Amino acid sequence: MRLFLAVIVCKVLRFIGGLIGKGSSLPGQFALKVCPDVLGRVRLPENVIAVTGSNGKTSTVEMIAAILTADGKQVVYNKEGSNQIEGVATLILSHCSLGGKMRGDVLLLESDERYARHTFQWFHPTHFVITNLYRDQLTRNGHPEWVYDAVKAAVFPETVLVLNADDPLVSCFAQDHDPDKVKWFGLDECSVSTKEHRGVYHDGARCPVCKGRMEYSCYHYAHIGHYACPSCGHKRHDADFAVTALDLEEGRLTINGERSISLAFKSIYNVYNILAAWSACALTGADRETMAGVINNYMLKNGRMITFRLGKHQGTLLTSKHENSVAYDTNLSYIAAIEKPCTVLVIVDAISRKYFTGETSWLWDVDFDRLSAPHIQKVMLYGKYCNDLAVRFKYSHVPADKIEVGERIPTAAEYLKENGDEDVYVVTCFSDRDKFLALTEKD
Amino acid sequence: MELTILHLYPDCMSLYGEYANVMVLRRHLEAVGVSVAVETALFEDTPDFEHADFIYMGAGTERTQKAALAALLPHKDALKRAVDRGAVVLFTGSAMETLGISIVDAAGKTWPCLGLADFATVETDRRAPEDVVAHTSLWESPVVGFMNKCSVTEDAPPLFDRLSLGFGNEEDRGPEGYINGNVFATHITGPVLVKNPDFVDFLIKRIFALKEWELPEVLPVLPYEREAYEVTLKELTARTGG
Repeated sequence: MRLFLAVIVCKVLRFIGGLIGKGSSLPGQFALKVCPDVLGRVRLPENVIAVTGSNGKTSTVEMIAAILTADGKQVVYNKEGSNQIEGVATLILSHCSLGGKMRGDVLLLESDERYARHTFQWFHPTHFVITNLYRDQLTRNGHPEWVYDAVKAAVFPETVLVLNADDPLVSCFAQDHDPDKVKWFGLDECSVSTKEHRGVYHDGARCPVCKGRMEYSCYHYAHIGHYACPSCGHKRHDADFAVTALDLEEGRLTINGERSISLAFKSIYNVYNILAAWSACALTGADRETMAGVINNYMLKNGRMITFRLGKHQGTLLTSKHENSVAYDTNLSYIAAIEKPCTVLVIVDAISRKYFTGETSWLWDVDFDRLSAPHIQKVMLYGKYCNDLAVRFKYSHVPADKIEVGERIPTAAEYLKENGDEDVYVVTCFSDRDKFLALTEKD
Repeated sequence: MELTILHLYPDCMSLYGEYANVMVLRRHLEAVGVSVAVETALFEDTPDFEHADFIYMGAGTERTQKAALAALLPHKDALKRAVDRGAVVLFTGSAMETLGISIVDAAGKTWPCLGLADFATVETDRRAPEDVVAHTSLWESPVVGFMNKCSVTEDAPPLFDRLSLGFGNEEDRGPEGYINGNVFATHITGPVLVKNPDFVDFLIKRIFALKEWELPEVLPVLPYEREAYEVTLKELTARTGG
């Protein structure tokens, strides 16, 4: 009876919420009050795929949904990004019959890495994809090992783990898990790999298991690569799903030596998102031709890269989450690789749009030396925290005479409008990007 | 004037840009005419405490902190001798906890520590990553920063008498950190010296006094540091309600 009531409450509130444009977690929140164990009572589809990790969750989920839908499955997923238990409850219950049976062939969940354990105490995913763990919003997340422990509490023996073999911390999830229920994805050594670590800090320097000195035969980016610990033997597993060839400049990759795929977005992130999505879909029995067809030139509509015009400038805004140095580094390398004269504008005005913090330590984790490339003619540092940026750049290799500092974002926009015609790259966060884009013309 | 900074375990006791503390201290010292050498020690090394004038260790994860402790314990007598000789010690973030008697981890295991201080630490399952505003009687301006701890430390003579934002040694907004002679510690994580030029100046004055060097009347002000400090202080103070 309570299950029935919870489903009704959720559906009614969802309907009202839809009318007034209100959020997606409230109906679930009420339903959980009516029936706290409702998620344990509903009957779920045969495949329940969860995706978590520091970066790439949303993109991977979108890709899996696109592939499985093309494969003829009815996929229910949290496209609104409500990835905590209340949002998941809303999603599931609003797709349930009044008897508590969920419609659809696949339930696909983007899962918040810290809260997965609360959701999965009621039901266990059949497949749990874990993309990567690195420094991300430490003001909320503590640190990667803390997040690891939180995710570990959401891992259950019957779940098939789909793990990034190239992340030494993520690969620890396989410890004391049935090896038949662990599937690995990874990138072979390729053109993007380096022998030396690149970045300001190295979270793979020590083995996550024994803290001995880790050895890498190659790095793909940050601490992602091919590693082995001489002290305890913790090492990269061979990948079940491997990118065996990658040409980022051309934008082509090959999976398991047989499927060639074109990349609409030529970033190493995209490569891993594709791999994660490919693995999950292959494991749920999707048709390989369909998978390759969907992923080929797959264009994410996530608005991470936005073009604009400002005066005589052609501009590109690269959304780089504040408090996430890996996201910053990826975008800075993109700019560094362009080799065409340009100006770079870095904006740090509000550190988060979701919560308050004055935390700027992460600026010291970002490898701003990447902006010392000669084709970068000018680096403009703007926003409320421009002074923190300016201090940080005093310790970078970017020449002082290329740097300009100012607090007001409109001043930066006005300056660019009046001066020069070189390409402009803007590096900033969701929290700050519209403050700048509002001052530009749409491309 | 020559000075050696010893940075312990920079490859991993580095939760959030801690290396910058050493860089900013170095640059400020150089600006007052000190020739600075920075030495580092990894877990596998024997730290050269004998020649160190300033010894720094930053924050690590709970597991890395235990590994740092294991690496440092065999050398604790050498560290004590350096302190007695007049070396200045600064441990920030979870490194602070290693100075005490013991740490009881979240699983209940007791880890004996360096014993340079009389305090003891107990880890909890509650993490408090939050902004900090800390007040000390040692210099005028409040200290701003960020804390990322999941522990309670009892019986530490505090570096900061009170916090107007953040979790102190034992309670929210309570006294925080540790001070005894030339040993300083705070659980503030990340580049606390970058964010607080007055903290840097305080340490420089302490180093000069211990070295019996003549201190310039005015310490140099490096560009943008104080402006950055003022913005963060203003933002965080608005948060605390004044």
